[in-house]
Amino acid sequence: MSSEVSNNFEQDAVLRASIDRSLRHPVMFFLTSGAAWLAVSIILGVISSAKVHSPGFLDGCGWLTYGRTQAAHLNALIYGWGFQAAFGVIVWMLSRLSRQECRASGIILTAGHLWNLGVSVGIFGILAGYGTGMQWMEFPSFCWPVLLLSYFAIVVWSLVQFKVRPEGHVYISQWYLMAAMIWFPWVFITANVLLHMMPGNPVMAAGINAWYKSSLIFLFFTPVALGTAFYLVPKVSGRPIYSYSLAQFGFWTLAVIMPWAGMQKLTGAPIPYFIPYLGAAATIMFFLPAFSAAVNILRTAIADPEVANNSPTLRFTMAGIIGLIVMAAAAVFLNIPGKTLEFVQFSMSGYGFEILSIYGFFSFVMFGAIYFIVPRVTRREWLSRRLIKWHFFPSVYGVAIIALIAIFGGIQQGIGQEEFEQSWSEVAKRAVPYAWAITIVWCFILFSNFFFFMHLTVMWLRLGRRSTHPTMLVSGHHGSPHGDDGDIDNCGPGTVSAH
Amino acid sequence: MSSPNPHSKPDLDETINVTQAHARVASEFSAATREKHLAESGRESVPLWVITACGAVLLIAGGVLGNAGTLFSYDNTFRANYVRGTAPGSAVDGPQPKTALMAFSAKGSKIYSAKCNGCHGADGKGDGVNYPSLVGSTFVIEENQKLAMVILNGIQGPVSNGKTYGAGIMPAQGAGMTPEDLAGVMTYVRNNFGNSTGDVVSVEMAKSALDVSAAREKAGQSVTSEEILAKHKVILSGADISPEIMVNPATLAPVE
Amino acid sequence: MSFRTFILSLSASFGVAWLAIVIVPYFKMRSLEPIAVEEGDGTNAVYIPKRAGRIADGAEVYAANGCYQCHSQLVRPTYAGNDMFRPDMGGIAGDEERGDTRRETNAFDFQGEKFAQIGVSRLGPDLSNLGRRIEAIYAKGANPETWLYGHLYNPRWTPDRRESSCPSFRFLFKVTEIKGNPSEESLPFPVEAGMEIIPKSAARALVSYLLSLKKDQPVPTSLNFAPSAAAAPKAP
Repeated sequence: MSSEVSNNFEQDAVLRASIDRSLRHPVMFFLTSGAAWLAVSIILGVISSAKVHSPGFLDGCGWLTYGRTQAAHLNALIYGWGFQAAFGVIVWMLSRLSRQECRASGIILTAGHLWNLGVSVGIFGILAGYGTGMQWMEFPSFCWPVLLLSYFAIVVWSLVQFKVRPEGHVYISQWYLMAAMIWFPWVFITANVLLHMMPGNPVMAAGINAWYKSSLIFLFFTPVALGTAFYLVPKVSGRPIYSYSLAQFGFWTLAVIMPWAGMQKLTGAPIPYFIPYLGAAATIMFFLPAFSAAVNILRTAIADPEVANNSPTLRFTMAGIIGLIVMAAAAVFLNIPGKTLEFVQFSMSGYGFEILSIYGFFSFVMFGAIYFIVPRVTRREWLSRRLIKWHFFPSVYGVAIIALIAIFGGIQQGIGQEEFEQSWSEVAKRAVPYAWAITIVWCFILFSNFFFFMHLTVMWLRLGRRSTHPTMLVSGHHGSPHGDDGDIDNCGPGTVSAH
Repeated sequence: MSSPNPHSKPDLDETINVTQAHARVASEFSAATREKHLAESGRESVPLWVITACGAVLLIAGGVLGNAGTLFSYDNTFRANYVRGTAPGSAVDGPQPKTALMAFSAKGSKIYSAKCNGCHGADGKGDGVNYPSLVGSTFVIEENQKLAMVILNGIQGPVSNGKTYGAGIMPAQGAGMTPEDLAGVMTYVRNNFGNSTGDVVSVEMAKSALDVSAAREKAGQSVTSEEILAKHKVILSGADISPEIMVNPATLAPVE
Repeated sequence: MSFRTFILSLSASFGVAWLAIVIVPYFKMRSLEPIAVEEGDGTNAVYIPKRAGRIADGAEVYAANGCYQCHSQLVRPTYAGNDMFRPDMGGIAGDEERGDTRRETNAFDFQGEKFAQIGVSRLGPDLSNLGRRIEAIYAKGANPETWLYGHLYNPRWTPDRRESSCPSFRFLFKVTEIKGNPSEESLPFPVEAGMEIIPKSAARALVSYLLSLKKDQPVPTSLNFAPSAAAAPKAP
């Protein structure tokens, strides 16, 4: 190997490492704070779900009434965990892909604190009884400008970095992340300005709220997760993306189709008749971008099955992509007028789909990214493979069960609701067994997230392993002269390992 | 190979010992070093089964769009030419028919809640001192004109069991009562609380009760036990109605 | 693909949908043309359903306490569900005076509210005609407000509702000393001697709002989808 090539490679590694180092504080803040909010959200989810089957549980207190805890659960999941994980990943990935160190880390970190403040005040406001009653927008109405301002302060630097990037091909992840960064404020400003500042017909306002929910899933969380997966899989496996044209197809079908989705939640409502059915058709067509991206990513990953199995990054990312496939199938299944759409319209299937998309797809890819990014940013390896496994298995099984139970339970609820001769108490009883299952499963997921949060906090405090070998999910194998855990370097930088 | 001075940090560009430099990069930036290059160069063609799957979904979506009627027609908030469907399995618009016994009793229970249970109790048993029990009372379960007169005019003095309750006065309840109301409350009282005469007082019979009540000598005053036993120990005239026949619960008229 | 092409294509693909299903319908429906109604005597009136009660305040309490998580407020036409076949969802099927009053929800039905609480799921029944149901069925002959306060305080009180999963909203009430005579609004639930349970103002607003939910008034011909030639019942 010529020293020039190896020098280039090393200079590249040094550049990448310096980018990572420049972003350590904001990225670790976003990821750790996000994980904390995830735990808060799951606790609220357990409480809410328990109240469906046991309404006497912690009742009588306004702060914990079901209507408020359910809203707080979802808002904490989305704005506390989802957005912060996305910010950490976006800021890091776009810096890497633009090959620029981040010079605004301090501002990003401050903006991140401002975002957290907005979310905290919002969650507090919901639980205290000041929620607005608009799904996924329940934060009191003064919160949204704060969130918008911090959002811009966080992402504008990535746009600047993109503008001054070195010449060359723009990678697919950059398109996905940039698109997400542009779609979100457009959607957010539209929904908040129209609903809070320009009152109109109340039913159409509800329609825009439904469009907002759908756009958040399909035009922010989905592209961020896909962009991340398209980055991580080639990076870890070393294989090129399976099909470039399929990747482009996936991106543009997402962009063209998904803005039309969302208002199928208002089927039968007095808004222009064609809109809900257009939304249903668009949601069904989510299958196109989702399936094509999933096939692309999976084919790239399984080209090297051993790496895919050993690497925590790839395992979580693959779990997320399988979640995407299930999500695509559910999007088709749940939106067929006359067969399922009206049945599940007012059932727990909607909740199941939302958890599937935010946890079963987006969050798993984010976990994969976290397991990749944190060692680079802190220069420590993950402490224990067992902790990673304790995170992985209950989460995967848990989310699969919640999604399937809620979707199936929703169908059962819908069938009961359509039995118009049955009294309502009979209909309501149908939900109970599914509610029990969901409560129990959230407890398992909370358990797994406890390990994740602990592990992440330990890494944030830079107490991870100092080693040249990554923590793999399968115990280290043959012939490493450094032993199972690789090189434990206790003598500071520059010490050469003994050969 | 000599071990380096731990306090010196060789600058990458000036280092003489390439192996040491490699090792430093390898250990310090190991994570960054072991990353692979990103490449998008995959030139695999799109597999046929992916195209087929996407095509099938497009067909489904197209079918769904067919439901949408005229696209971008903003003025219609309902389907064009929508006419409300009828419930599968029922031939009649409006309330589901019920048996006469159930329909009359249901109507009667509402009247009872409004007018009677304040004194006679929700269980019809009264309180033993001020308000008589309706359970098993001969005025209630025997010939129905007796009950009709008591309801419409009130009763003074001792009741069917000879006892006098409270001040001995039950106020008249007939003011504003339609024949349907009367038929309903009579049917309800005669078939609940443990009473089970099994018959229904029809609307026609209730109308004749109103006539009888208006034609009394002491019309407008309460009845007494003597008057009941002397003059009203009869069944109300008018066509009766079988308790099993299906009626419209709102109008109490038989269906079909 | 250049950055400029990317931005233009993205804006076009998003912008067309944004205009078509968000902006245009929202602004069109901001100013709904009132529908003309021809009265029986030939005069022309306009269909403006009126709602009595503290709609705005009550809707805020409804929203803040998340009632929309379990209750819907949408009676769908028969091509979108069986809501119209239930005897008491779209109105009262067998109302004693007006006959079958059931109808679909229309765009004028949410007067006084900024945001129609269409609802997330139906763990509890649809509330579009709750006011009507309470007065005609649940609290027939009794005070509907008292019934509703009782339901909010303890939804599982009556034997037929022992399995209801509605949360108790007793935090919207307060237990205070009886001063002089018991208040008219005190709830008939067991409480310490000398104390009574009365609703706070949030509960009053909420109950006022809920009792105003009567969306079965007669509608003009263009919104009347009944199959029979017989017109909807005469306006009260």
